[in-house]
Amino acid sequence: SSNEHKLNFRKSKEACLSYIQDALLQKQWKRAAEFLTCYVESLEKDYSREHIGPSEMIWRIGTEILWHHSQSSMKEFNCFIEQMKTLGVKRYLKVCLEHVFHLLCNGQIAEAYQNLSLAESWRFGEQTAIQDKEMKLIQAYRGLLDYYSWSKQKNILLEHGEDGFSDLAVEQEMHGYFRKAAVNLKEIIKIPGVWDVFVKCYVDLLEFYGDHNEARQVLNEYAYNSKFPANPNAHVYLYQFLKRQGESKKSLISALKILHDIVPSHELMIDFNTMLQKSKKRKKRRLGLEVIFTALDYAGWKENAKAWSCLARQVKQIVISEKHLDWIKQEWSSRKDWWPAFHFSRYLAKRNWQENKSLSYEKALVAGLLLGKDCKYFKYVSHQGCKAQLKRFRMLKKFMNRHNLVYLRISG
Amino acid sequence: MEFPAALFPSYFSAGPPREEGGPAPVAGWGEHGQVLGGGPGRRQVQPAFVSRRGATGEKWEAADAAAVPVLLPSAGCWFPSPAPQDIVYRSGSCRKLRVGKSGATLDFARQLGHFFVDHPEDAFGSLGRLLHKNFYLGNSKLKRPARNSTIRMTALMEDIDRLEARRGCPRQHLASRLRWFSHLCRDWLFEVPLGLLADCLHEELMQQWSNLLFDDSFTGGALAWLPSEDGATPVGRLVHPGGQAMNHLYFQDVVLEELPRARGSPQQFELSGRIRQVAAARVDGQDFVGVRSDYHCGVWRVPGKTGAAPTPLQVIRTDMPASCLTVSPHLPGELSVCTQSGTIYLWSVETGLQQLRHDPQTMFFRDYSPWRWSDFTAHPRVLSCADRTGVQCLDARAPKRCHFDLFKVGEEAGCQQGERVVLPMYLGKAHPSQYLVTTQFSVYVLDERLPLVPVLKWAHMMKAPPLFAHLMPGKPGRSHKVLLGASRTQELLLLQYRGKRSSCRGGGQSACQLAGTPQKLHNIAGCLPHLPTQLPHRHHLLQQRLTAPAAGLAATLQEDGPHKSMLVFQLSEAGDVFCQRLTHKATQPPAPPSRDEATTAPGSSPLFEAPASSPQGLGAAALRYRRWLRAFSRACKEPPRHSWPPSLSQRRLFTHRDLEGPAGPSSLQRQMRQRLRQTMQEGGRIQRWEPLALQPPPLPQTLEPAGGPDPLSTRLTAAWAGDWEQWWEERTSFSVAQRQRALRERRRRQKRAKGRCSLSASFTSSLTYQSELSELSDAGPQLLSPSRPPVLSQEGSPPAGSPPLRSLPTSPAPEEALLSSQSLRCRGIPKERRKTLRDYLSVWAEGPPEPPEPLGSQASQLCIPSSQSQLSSASQPRRKRPRMGF
Repeated sequence: SSNEHKLNFRKSKEACLSYIQDALLQKQWKRAAEFLTCYVESLEKDYSREHIGPSEMIWRIGTEILWHHSQSSMKEFNCFIEQMKTLGVKRYLKVCLEHVFHLLCNGQIAEAYQNLSLAESWRFGEQTAIQDKEMKLIQAYRGLLDYYSWSKQKNILLEHGEDGFSDLAVEQEMHGYFRKAAVNLKEIIKIPGVWDVFVKCYVDLLEFYGDHNEARQVLNEYAYNSKFPANPNAHVYLYQFLKRQGESKKSLISALKILHDIVPSHELMIDFNTMLQKSKKRKKRRLGLEVIFTALDYAGWKENAKAWSCLARQVKQIVISEKHLDWIKQEWSSRKDWWPAFHFSRYLAKRNWQENKSLSYEKALVAGLLLGKDCKYFKYVSHQGCKAQLKRFRMLKKFMNRHNLVYLRISG
Repeated sequence: MEFPAALFPSYFSAGPPREEGGPAPVAGWGEHGQVLGGGPGRRQVQPAFVSRRGATGEKWEAADAAAVPVLLPSAGCWFPSPAPQDIVYRSGSCRKLRVGKSGATLDFARQLGHFFVDHPEDAFGSLGRLLHKNFYLGNSKLKRPARNSTIRMTALMEDIDRLEARRGCPRQHLASRLRWFSHLCRDWLFEVPLGLLADCLHEELMQQWSNLLFDDSFTGGALAWLPSEDGATPVGRLVHPGGQAMNHLYFQDVVLEELPRARGSPQQFELSGRIRQVAAARVDGQDFVGVRSDYHCGVWRVPGKTGAAPTPLQVIRTDMPASCLTVSPHLPGELSVCTQSGTIYLWSVETGLQQLRHDPQTMFFRDYSPWRWSDFTAHPRVLSCADRTGVQCLDARAPKRCHFDLFKVGEEAGCQQGERVVLPMYLGKAHPSQYLVTTQFSVYVLDERLPLVPVLKWAHMMKAPPLFAHLMPGKPGRSHKVLLGASRTQELLLLQYRGKRSSCRGGGQSACQLAGTPQKLHNIAGCLPHLPTQLPHRHHLLQQRLTAPAAGLAATLQEDGPHKSMLVFQLSEAGDVFCQRLTHKATQPPAPPSRDEATTAPGSSPLFEAPASSPQGLGAAALRYRRWLRAFSRACKEPPRHSWPPSLSQRRLFTHRDLEGPAGPSSLQRQMRQRLRQTMQEGGRIQRWEPLALQPPPLPQTLEPAGGPDPLSTRLTAAWAGDWEQWWEERTSFSVAQRQRALRERRRRQKRAKGRCSLSASFTSSLTYQSELSELSDAGPQLLSPSRPPVLSQEGSPPAGSPPLRSLPTSPAPEEALLSSQSLRCRGIPKERRKTLRDYLSVWAEGPPEPPEPLGSQASQLCIPSSQSQLSSASQPRRKRPRMGF
């Protein structure tokens, strides 16, 4: 009966698909391609109500094969994709977008741009939410390419400008690109998402044309709108913008303070710490100590010599001045049960000494002050340092002898 | 570690997942995801774009055509866990008991039947004992008087058999006899009320079935590889479970040669439960190995030096099964433990357990699964905790206040409906703030600095959810490798991703990219077609063994100058560890159609075509196989019995042959016969049948040194064995007068006997005898009702002199020897009938001293003392106690 036929057809379709899958997972592109030519038949009786229909499967598999097949060419690929575009209305935009990505990755920017324009003008009935999103992305990527063209023109103009020669046509063209780019980029960054590239480009455009208020607004929105994910880059961009604008220390610090609150392990924390340490206000210096302590809690900072030297400098300063030892005490109290094993073990002393002497110097200084000169880390490093007759380490030992009892006050 | 300067664009929205989905077979192919422009540099003409998927990865090729066994199979047979066909109803006619959407029907009735047959004592014990006289199992017709109180079971059995034969027939109706019988006894026959029992069984069946669909108890995997400390010497240590119950932990040194080879014998620890997970992490040059079984977790320390012995450090016991155990990569001796009650502990060997969270509810939406997971993060005091709905991070210093969401099954990560977290893993070795989360559909890489938004997402297309994952960090400029492993299907998938920009762009951190195409690796079952042809049943066993679900995964990278290779170990639930080697091929830009494509296609097996005739070349693998196969067949000499359930035919109580003695008389019997003959010749008599040293004294005898079995205990033994009633009848069958006579006789003898009892003892005992006798005379008439003939046995077999028992009087061996379960078993009498038989025979063993008719002094002299004391203890055990010395 026809039902049975359908059933068998489905079965053979599934079997074929599993062969293809198997071949793809073993990188047997040729074999997969052969099976795929058989699988194309499945398009004829596409009764499936599955999540991914045969036409999408063919597009995905075919694309994958053509990426890797030794004998495929860009021309063939384009040809295949054009066919795929006509295969399913629902996926038209998605296929276009992926095609553009492929062209971009292969450096065919002009073709990509052309495809984007074509896709943008595509209309078919009412758009679904997903298609709407895809359309916005297509526009945004076109905006991005417009931005790159603008940037190219700008560079040409700047170079020529150095020669004292300005080309009005080039300038006109550049402004045209600006307008096209700005419209599209502005649209996408209103929607919640991660739009690092688009935001950067848009801000660059605005800054070039002197619209700093708009740029600031965009960056503030990107960083502080609660509908957007907590993207550290948003805060970094804002901080960098403020820095470029020559804003006051206070606003820079407040920008970084928020970054510190979301990502205490961000690499800008060193800048933040330095900035705070230089401050005259006690509260800020206190915050600086907290920032550097917190950063060093993270495994990624374990061997960051710069961070250790920041901490060592600040701790040393406090110990010498004998003021605010309670700051260290406070920071240390939540760490004294695990920092010794995490940072100051004998094993680490050995390894740090072998790999990075200056790191082990800074760490030994901190360890000596926090744990006393009998701690394993300090003992090992200062012993090695004295053995190697390094002046620095001898000074360190002397310093530690002078401030031997500090650790009792800190941990007490 | 720096944060990437720009991330790939993506939409972000909150809420439950909107995308409808399901397992999509090809969802991971052909997509770039998104692209990121490097932007035109000052000098560059064109911007360079990179895509989220599509970067070139390293090329790894399998060195052999199949995975090769590392260790020989352990001795002793392996019992596979139940397969679907064991618990699912086979014919499709019954559609009522649906299990979820899967459409399978659990064969509830069959399992209940198995229970009744396998555990009759637990199912029908007491009533069965009480009623067994009323059930006649013989073939012959019942005689008139017996028919009143006895049912013939044979017909019922036949009906049941007929019913069984018609199973699946749509027009089956119960025989009226069966219906009548079940109506009659459904309510009272069962030891455990049927409804309750059925509930429990059904619950258990559902549990077994859900385990078959998805068993998460092995999450994380029970295999670990501890590389040697310097990393250069090709030696390492494999930590794996073994033994029949998978409750032995082995630390096996392994030399990485062409094929990894076990060196020396493993260090072995026996644990008190099946090992579910082995987790390991290296801190300060020492490995810490955490081992999880259901109710116990333990931690071992293994010094980095090769050959150093592992030391067990601590064990904890949990009330609920533990579902997760991970070892801290930051601090020595720290672990995190989760239990199925939703509790998460930070476990430090030095300071003990610290409860971080207790919440039986899932975090983001309601999900029934009690599975919880926890791992460490970039901050040594911050732990992640996960359930099926997502992952949260919480600070151990203030777990109530400080936490943030890392991953949510929802729109945030672009999940599909029905997607659930299967395994989270900290990727600290590759990048301190990255995290892997696998679901049944996709694999996500998350950065804890940008929570909720995955920095990488890829649909892995595996057929079963990946329960195991292993990370091999790449050196700077090279990709990180992640192996994903599934349990039931044994799938192994190699993924590569990179978090650093390739060297051409110089320095800087870039967004995460998937590199190269994912690659399927050999699994254990994949070697089956390569093995030499086996006998069908052997092939079946082999197949069963090799397709056992995977239970763990480990891997190591080995660099030997320019040659880089990767060794992947896979553990199966049967305890087999197989290994495969992948070799790194330097990337030649456009890969020419490699010849491997042809050779590695299924169906061709270049390596194992003729393993017997390949001592040269690729023989090492073949040799290894041959050795493994030999050991396997040795271990599986006895095919597992469980494949056919024990069946019993209960048409007759026992056949003629059952009761035939063993081929020749036993030595004991011979001895007895000889004694009998001797006594007859001498014209004497035998006071006691016991041989001199053979009789094991029953326990209570120690209380009454020489007086024979004590009366209470014989009575209790009789009651315990179920023939209390019979005992009672025996007792009451004596006329009171006879017994009084016997008592007097005994008292006389006791008076004559010297030194055995003190005067007072004899006095008290005689006193009680008197009082009891008076009580007995009160009770006597009621018990000796006329409807009950004073016959010894109503067992259904005719009394003395009938053919089956003919041998007994001629060879009156001591009953212990005759009735020991061993001797009964050797005669082929099934277990459930042995008991009946023993009771039956015990009657006859006691028969001669207490014949139905009063036999006079001879009988009472034979063993009156014991029977008398038995008598005396019968009616009032409570009052007896003080005197008995209780």
